[in-house]
Amino acid sequence: MTAPPEFLEGLNADDAAALMALGTATILKTGAVLFDLGSPADFLYLVERGRINLTLPMEVAGHQQDVLVEERLPGQMLGWSALIPPHRFTLKATAPLESEVIGFARAALFAHFAANPQVGYQVTRNVGGVIGQRLQILQAMWLREMRRVVQHRYEVNRG
Amino acid sequence: MEMFLMVLCLSLLGVAVSALAFGAATRDVRDGDRSKARPQPRPSPSLPVVAPQFFADTPAVGATRSGVPIELLLLQLERHVRLEQAAAESFLMAPTLESLHSRTSSPLLH
Repeated sequence: MTAPPEFLEGLNADDAAALMALGTATILKTGAVLFDLGSPADFLYLVERGRINLTLPMEVAGHQQDVLVEERLPGQMLGWSALIPPHRFTLKATAPLESEVIGFARAALFAHFAANPQVGYQVTRNVGGVIGQRLQILQAMWLREMRRVVQHRYEVNRG
Repeated sequence: MEMFLMVLCLSLLGVAVSALAFGAATRDVRDGDRSKARPQPRPSPSLPVVAPQFFADTPAVGATRSGVPIELLLLQLERHVRLEQAAAESFLMAPTLESLHSRTSSPLLH
């Protein structure tokens, strides 16, 4: 693992170990799908090894293709839709190379958080940080694209 | 009496001629109005085909039309997303107007 798991930040070693004990490791072969767009989000995942691509379907040259939106690397988590209603994945996750993830069932996590509120609070903060960062990145990407569209339209209109 | 009958006949003749002339004069106008009111067969509307607006004019679409393989286009898209993501992350590290709109070497835009 190249970076400390982001959703364990702020937890002491015992709390982190107890939380990790809730997870189940899964090995994904190259090209394997971890979850599909729109499927029920019952697990939060931590990337242990390899890489997970998050994609969205897009029509490219008349064909439906999965276009990369984000990549998750070791130490990073994905699948936070498991913690947020309506608990449906909004992206598709695949492994472009053999990878390993640790899955945490929502029910087990919530039960653990109920028994250990301070852990639930910290993990929720960590998840909030990940969601906020993703939002800010996408916001900046969208602004950059919008500027190009406006600039292009302006140049076309000027002739 | 004869004078009266003659004047009466001439008057009736005048009225008849005037009526005929009026009818002949106004028939063309009414026909014209009717033909104007009648729905004319319209030429089939040749609406311009509106191209997709969003990203429609970017070089990526042109590249597709020019026969670039889908695999290559997807690789370019991936590279574009990575570069844009990196640029967005740089902006978050140091939020300035310049870093927000920094130039990219994405093949989709050059």
